[in-house]
Amino acid sequence: MGAPEETYFTPVVPMDFTYNYRVGPYITRYLDGFKDKKILGSRCPGCGLVAVPPRKYCGVCNKVMEEMVEVGQEGTLENFTVGHVTIEKGRLAPAEAPYVLGLVKLEEATSALLARVGGIAPSEVRTGMKVKAVWKDEAAGDYDDLDHFEPV
Amino acid sequence: MDINVAIVGYRMQSAPDLVTSRERLVFELTRGLFDDLGIERTDVDTTILDSNDFMDGRTISNVFIDPPAGVYMRDESKVEMDAANAVIYACMRILTGQYDTAMVVGIALTGSQASPYLYIEYTLNPTYERQVKLLNEVNAAAFQARSYIDRFGYSERLLDDIAALSLANAALNPNQARRISGITADKVAASAMYYEPLRELHCYPPTDGGCALLLASERKAKELTDKPVWIKGMGMSTETYYLGERKLYQSSSAAEAAQRAYELAGVKKPAQEIDVAEISALFAHQEPLLAEAMGLMGEGKAEQAYAAGETAIGGKLPINPSGGALGAHPVSVTGLMRVAEAARQLRGEAGDNQVKKAELAVVHGQDGVCAQQNAVLVLGI
Repeated sequence: MGAPEETYFTPVVPMDFTYNYRVGPYITRYLDGFKDKKILGSRCPGCGLVAVPPRKYCGVCNKVMEEMVEVGQEGTLENFTVGHVTIEKGRLAPAEAPYVLGLVKLEEATSALLARVGGIAPSEVRTGMKVKAVWKDEAAGDYDDLDHFEPV
Repeated sequence: MDINVAIVGYRMQSAPDLVTSRERLVFELTRGLFDDLGIERTDVDTTILDSNDFMDGRTISNVFIDPPAGVYMRDESKVEMDAANAVIYACMRILTGQYDTAMVVGIALTGSQASPYLYIEYTLNPTYERQVKLLNEVNAAAFQARSYIDRFGYSERLLDDIAALSLANAALNPNQARRISGITADKVAASAMYYEPLRELHCYPPTDGGCALLLASERKAKELTDKPVWIKGMGMSTETYYLGERKLYQSSSAAEAAQRAYELAGVKKPAQEIDVAEISALFAHQEPLLAEAMGLMGEGKAEQAYAAGETAIGGKLPINPSGGALGAHPVSVTGLMRVAEAARQLRGEAGDNQVKKAELAVVHGQDGVCAQQNAVLVLGI
């Protein structure tokens, strides 16, 4: 279809929505654990899934995961990608420098956690590497207290 | 079971920027469809609009496109997922016996007016992934791609070969948005790296697009066209949202959706019986991954299949002869375009993209990160 001759009006209307989300006790306890540099998961009484971060419901078993468990600080890099772009607010743009994201299966966990991987050149990263958590010096109970994972 | 519902007409278009409004696009598609069939809006008994409140920035976004779709004092409702689901829904409405015709219309201006990446960002868990700010659709697909090629020991070159084939088909197809002349695997391999191993040309292009389709009962279909395309089977399935709990190298939900569709259609050996497949592969690796799940390709056989040209337009089982979603991905409309492209094949209207023997087709649509939800239809003449 060719472009129509007349111009069309593209409204630029700021749409500023505020949603409040009550996160519940699972994420609250996860972040409380961060203050002590601990990583918590929840265990399913049905299939034994240990989910990190913890959540209340197991979709497979349709059961409540009541038990909170502390998982290891070390784990296996199950998968990774080297990012050459960033996508922020819907905009894809070149990254300042290549960076590594990984899926880390922590000891005692059955799910993999998405995290930054550092302390290694991107070209040296391999799946199956053993990695460990690197925390910010001052943990405040925020998501970014767990800064990245690096090779053991 | 005989479903006895047919596709009797279709209209579609896509471009990086259609330079249009939502309303105009809907009007041109639906009025065009009515004119093709020699009908008026009152001949459409029920309408399913596929529009998205988030992408439109307005709730109940369908009400604004009712007037250009000719919906007035008729029954209409909305699907916000991939519009392959809307086709299944429309078919079910005819199966109630209350309607003889059902129109499906999907539009998305995700090339020019809304970001597809933003749309996916807002599908993520608001209290976790959106706060941590690491996950997005493309890096999730990169994990899936690595999981898939590592699982079978494939070379990353496979991704270039898959994309080059899709894009060569897309270049022949006037319905596609990304049409690159003289595309080769080397040119794909020279495109910008996004998230390893995925490069720009392994990924869908942000695209505007829309598609309108009319379904009819057997009685009405025979009145409206001498080339009905029958819906023979349909199925849907959803797996877990949580990426870290999935085996990313496979799609168990696409396999289940396909199985449901094949059962209804009486398809026992899809790789032998299906003549043509239109699969919503948003990233190159998803084409063989989903084809395996849908029983069209043997596990671990992808390198062999692409090297031998088995999936090409003249191959043993052509997959995405239209060029697929690497040619256009108007978010949510893509699965509907796959349905229309399959109908185009089965009616022998596919021009340079035409597959020689096209009597039974399988079509796939997906939603969510790494194809969490899948819808499959079997179509035949």
